[in-house]
Amino acid sequence: MLRRKNLRPVAQLTIPTWIFLALVVLIPFFYGVYISFLNINLASFLPPSFVGFDNYQTVLAASETWSTLRITLIITFIGLLTQIPIGILLALVLHENLRGTKIFRSILITPMLLTPVAVGLTYRFMFDTDLGVINWALGSIGIEKVNWLGSQTSALFAIIIVDSWQSIPFVMLLVLAALTAISPSLYEAARVDGASASQIFRRITLPLITPTLLVITMIKIMDFLKLFDTLFILTRGGPGNATTTLGLWTYKTGFVFLEFSRAAALGVIITIITLPVYFLWRRASRGVR
Amino acid sequence: MKGKHLLKGRNFKVVALVAAAVLTLSACSSDSESGGEVGGEINVFLIPSPSSTSIQSFIPEFEAETGIKVNVSETPYGEAHQKQLLSYNQKAGAYDIAQFDNTYLAPFCQAKAMLPLDSYISGSDEYDINDFGQGQQDYGKCKGETLGLTLSTEPMIQWYRTDLYEKLGLTPAKTWDEYYENAKKVQAAGFGGQIMGFGPNVSWWWMTLVWSFGGALYDENLNPVVNSKEAVAATDYLKKLLEVSPKGAITATGDDTTSKFLGEDIGAMLNYSGYYGMALDPSINKNAGNIGTAPAPMGSADTTHLAGWNIGVPADAKNPDAAWKFLEFVLGKTNSVKYLESGAAAIGRQSIINNADLVAMNPYLPQLEIPSSSRIERYPQIAVWPEFEVAAIDAVTQVLTGKQKSQAALDALNEKLKPILAKEPKS
Repeated sequence: MLRRKNLRPVAQLTIPTWIFLALVVLIPFFYGVYISFLNINLASFLPPSFVGFDNYQTVLAASETWSTLRITLIITFIGLLTQIPIGILLALVLHENLRGTKIFRSILITPMLLTPVAVGLTYRFMFDTDLGVINWALGSIGIEKVNWLGSQTSALFAIIIVDSWQSIPFVMLLVLAALTAISPSLYEAARVDGASASQIFRRITLPLITPTLLVITMIKIMDFLKLFDTLFILTRGGPGNATTTLGLWTYKTGFVFLEFSRAAALGVIITIITLPVYFLWRRASRGVR
Repeated sequence: MKGKHLLKGRNFKVVALVAAAVLTLSACSSDSESGGEVGGEINVFLIPSPSSTSIQSFIPEFEAETGIKVNVSETPYGEAHQKQLLSYNQKAGAYDIAQFDNTYLAPFCQAKAMLPLDSYISGSDEYDINDFGQGQQDYGKCKGETLGLTLSTEPMIQWYRTDLYEKLGLTPAKTWDEYYENAKKVQAAGFGGQIMGFGPNVSWWWMTLVWSFGGALYDENLNPVVNSKEAVAATDYLKKLLEVSPKGAITATGDDTTSKFLGEDIGAMLNYSGYYGMALDPSINKNAGNIGTAPAPMGSADTTHLAGWNIGVPADAKNPDAAWKFLEFVLGKTNSVKYLESGAAAIGRQSIINNADLVAMNPYLPQLEIPSSSRIERYPQIAVWPEFEVAAIDAVTQVLTGKQKSQAALDALNEKLKPILAKEPKS
């Protein structure tokens, strides 16, 4: 009874937040689910009608849905394999508190502060085959020009480079926080027992930062699933649809083809794909706490 | 504390009466406007472009002359048509004039979103429709009705470097074979042979070639025919041109293509004449004085790919008469020279194309004279064009990047286009 009484002011105080969240998250979400069962095409000017699961059938039968999902998974997989090890490595170096660490740390987090659109535009010029600084640098050491954004493999590679440049500082900061939380006495005891640096890392550091790494992995997977701005500026999903992710395909369906209901169905599918990641993230977060 | 009870009792009644009186008066005034003389204000929807900047430069003079207030809202291209469609869907009457891309003429036409302007045009000596060639008179027409005036005339033309061509003894190509041979010779001399946008806008060039090679995108029954032998030959030729293009052309957009041609040493370019404004900008054009233009080379069919903006009056416009007055003022014959001089892409009026002073400043103007023998091809007038175009770009890119042969890629594209074209409303 007392607990319920104490809870009442808390509930009252959070009501505005719940209302706000309902307005900006829940209502659009349920509206999105609702229109995925209609046939809204902005250019048709016809009154929308209920079409059941037609939009879901159409998008699941379309080869683009699967090819863009495959591209999304490739970017996610290679991105994670790149960003997490480098982030851990940088965090370990910074954790040593060597001379100049503070300046180095400030410099390293700068990419995180930049807007993805600005980063995409800058890199687009840097990757330009004929005028870009990257090919100029490669040329100056005798390497032939690379058509960075002109083929699927190199364009995907370029996207991962740009995203990694922005995301590694995030991984590094979280791992650094996890490293700071490890008691120094554990390391001292290990050293007294004669453990090597690699044994210390494998037996103490890695197990203790694993919950944080899981959280990072889940957040990054969600980030990759909604990767849009950098990608849009850098390649627009090209050449052709070779770097179009599921998110970018949803955008094209909605805002280029004006097929709003079909895009809503794709949005629901993305949500369904993301749900297991969300639940894993929640489990991993509990581990961190 | 007193203010808290300001709208109670007697005060509230007074405020309510005043508000009701104001509303009634304003309703009366809008009634008199719609039925009486042209006046009031108009809302103009523009898309950032040289044409939009030029239109806006006329507003002060127009307002002073007519007393009609002009409000402008600009929306970037990426969202402009979606915003217009939303507004027309809701019959919001938000705009009295709207600039739009010719690709959207078909959906606007199907939705009856734009007001037919034929009665205004036929009654206007100032607009003088006969000052346009037949193809351009038809440019904003859908199902026989003019839904948009021509805001720019932009045929796909051949651009070339006069200095490089002179040095190598070349003349602008008349056929596609000549175009390739010229590019090869320029490349052999150590320059870029030619450039066009093989990137996200490759459909512009692909369509031009398909039409010029005698092919088509779909037949009269809306069945796709993109795997015809003509379309395959056009696609093979497009791929062949990659060999004589700078490496970066594979990702170039329309803007990139023009920037590279104007900023680097490349023999020729195929592009819309509307980009000539960039050639007049010394910060972009490093080759000023050395840019020549000629008609696009000809294939087995004499076609001209014509593009350009339209501008019209939405069907739900609140003040269509005032809107027409503004369009007539800006795009009429009297101000046509001023319009071009203010930086807009040219409108292909005969009086402009044949003006020697203007041609001296804008040497590309004669290219806007499209011979009557040439069949004008516009962007496909179908509502499903955006989806069609994305599928086509993907297929053509497969060919350009060497992943598929032309015939196989176009066969697959043809199959993919069938359900897309099937969605096109038949009426």
